[in-house]
Amino acid sequence: MSRYQSVSDEGLIFFCVLHYRLFNPPEKEMEMIRRVTGAAAAAVLLAGLAACGGGSEEGGAGSATELTYWMFQDRTPQAGEVVEKIRTDFEKANPGVKVNIVKIPKDDYNTKLGSALAGNTVPDVGILDQPLVSRFALEGTIKEVPAGTLNEADFWEGALNTNKVGGKLYGFPIDHTAVALFYNKALVPTPPKTWDELKSMSAAIHQKDPKVAGIVVPKGDGYGAWMWPGVVGGAGGQMVDEANKKILFDQPPAVEALQLWVDLLPSSPREITDSDQAFANGLAGMMISGPWDVATIKDQFPDLDFNVAPLPYKTTPAGNIGGENAVVFTKGKNEQLAWKWLQHLTNATNNTVLAQALGGFPVNKEAAERDAATFGEQQQAFLEQLKVAQARPAVPQWIQINDEIIAPALESALSGKMTAQESLTDAANKTRALLGWNG
Amino acid sequence: MASPVVAQRPAETPARPGRRRRPGIGRRDHLIGWLLIAPAMVYFIIFLLYPALAALYYSFTEWDLHSAPIWVGLQNYTDLFFDDVKYPHFWKSIQVTLQYTLVAVPLTLVTALGQALLINAVRRGSNLFRLLLFLPVVTAEAAVGAIWRWLYDPQYGLVNAVLGLVGIPRQNWLNTPELVIPALAFIAAWQCGISMIIYLAGLKSIPESIREAAVIDGAGPVQRFFKVTVPMLRPTTFYLVVTGIIAALQVFGLVYVIFSGGGNRSVTGGPEQSGLAYVLHIYLYAFRYNAMGAACAMSFILLVFIMIITFVQFKFMKQEAS
Repeated sequence: MSRYQSVSDEGLIFFCVLHYRLFNPPEKEMEMIRRVTGAAAAAVLLAGLAACGGGSEEGGAGSATELTYWMFQDRTPQAGEVVEKIRTDFEKANPGVKVNIVKIPKDDYNTKLGSALAGNTVPDVGILDQPLVSRFALEGTIKEVPAGTLNEADFWEGALNTNKVGGKLYGFPIDHTAVALFYNKALVPTPPKTWDELKSMSAAIHQKDPKVAGIVVPKGDGYGAWMWPGVVGGAGGQMVDEANKKILFDQPPAVEALQLWVDLLPSSPREITDSDQAFANGLAGMMISGPWDVATIKDQFPDLDFNVAPLPYKTTPAGNIGGENAVVFTKGKNEQLAWKWLQHLTNATNNTVLAQALGGFPVNKEAAERDAATFGEQQQAFLEQLKVAQARPAVPQWIQINDEIIAPALESALSGKMTAQESLTDAANKTRALLGWNG
Repeated sequence: MASPVVAQRPAETPARPGRRRRPGIGRRDHLIGWLLIAPAMVYFIIFLLYPALAALYYSFTEWDLHSAPIWVGLQNYTDLFFDDVKYPHFWKSIQVTLQYTLVAVPLTLVTALGQALLINAVRRGSNLFRLLLFLPVVTAEAAVGAIWRWLYDPQYGLVNAVLGLVGIPRQNWLNTPELVIPALAFIAAWQCGISMIIYLAGLKSIPESIREAAVIDGAGPVQRFFKVTVPMLRPTTFYLVVTGIIAALQVFGLVYVIFSGGGNRSVTGGPEQSGLAYVLHIYLYAFRYNAMGAACAMSFILLVFIMIITFVQFKFMKQEAS
């Protein structure tokens, strides 16, 4: 009701879609105009786009070979210095090579990349969101990693698998991250290792003080649905079997995983855990979250005595995974050099500092094991967790399935409207219909 | 401040001048006229008309923003309406938006009129009150969202604290599906400053003589309000209802910051999609699920719906003061 200005502009809703977010209007407009007005305008506009894209088309005149690399905007100035050092090292080791790094705010990244791909001004190599790898691979937008370019034994399997589509490798993991169990040391003397311990711990905390919840139970939203596969894995289950086109998240391990969350709710009432920063405020004994919250809590709640443990499991230690992958674009140039650059980013020397700068953990095993001690006390659990992390299903529609089908299913079970089995069966059937799978 | 459009309308249609136009001056007038409106026209064509037409085109395509659009005819439209596997929450988002509109618009108008009447009655310091009541409008939406998340906090929220004083038990406002729409509508009413200012202008334009006549005829304050003030404000109310409904149907910023924006919160529009406003749904398909074609189709469905609703209001609502 506060937007009368926009009302007077016709009240046309699609302006919201095309305008509201105000991300990269120039490229967007250019790209659309190009489609409509044809080739003549395209030449002019593409020149503009190229300029926006950091001048990747220039530099052919000199002897230097230029490589354009796209990444997310630095989180801190220090992170920028780390990236810069890695870049100059690479240029020193490869005389005559110049690496152009283009940094783009994370929120705008996918849209900018989309415009660039449509406008044929792609970078040679760049970061790609994990769940987008499968879509891009199937479209042929990115190149398969040539045999011998990456030694699979050097990387953690979960991180590597986020780059695999149909068994083939389409990118390098750069850094990765996962969720683990945060616990308040004052309320939780020893962190629970199993689901049973988790349930009894949660019950004990709430019984001791009814104003305190046992654990912040994740919600049935996109974020909760992203964490949930880690719990399913803890019962030995999987979300899908891509090779055989089978949905598995209506099978017993998944049902048990959801039932675990349902069972935790009585000792972890929502009216407590829905409060802002319930864990950090000492209103909940435990929560499931990622390494980003370690820094936030330490900064804003210096008095909270907490630590982080790997996720409790039923039969097998497991976890979810997030983080950054990098891919080589089919329309880009200097493919050999691009793979070399990715090797450089992920080698044992550079990967730890780079991953830390990016806010994640090293994907290179040697780097991770060598530098484990340099990560703080609260970060150790994530390192453990990442060894057993499982990649998201490599299904192009996965984000949509995660948000629109699985999240609501979790919510119906958590709110008590359906049993865990009913809601997951329903969600699995919807997913089968959407993907056209039979299993 | 835009005064009620409808009320001015009769004055805006002057009789055609009978005298002959002198050609030279006429042409120059035309040229100057065009020049004067040129900036607005350029803006309109580039930023409104062109994207609108482009969106119409894309609504007939399947387009993921980075490969070439594929023409699919009306399929986006039929799928939206009938395929609940592909678009499981399309109808839910319509339901949420209509409910929100039905609650938020009347609540906003009543609040705005109430505030306008109070300010109109204040003799000293009305500027200060006007400023304070207008502040929520000029506050950045992200800040509004953050503030209200705290106010609605189930543990520490001021809303619960105040309700607790009159014995209403604590509620988990933004996490209980049934309470989400009222909670959002309340924020909208709190942001009613623009309607309030327009009502205030409407109140000031009611001739004092009518009020005096009513007093002489023995009408009490309540009677004066319902028999004089409300009918005299009808053009203002009409304008506010029309624009208010259009704005409410397009509500986005508020729901986005409260349920989606920032950090790791839900992106699916609140508990059980209870806050999944139509435009948020469009946004998710456009920018999260890479289904720009379907999102454009949804935009057009909303456009047509808004046009129909607005037409119906012009046709059937009383617009003239009486």
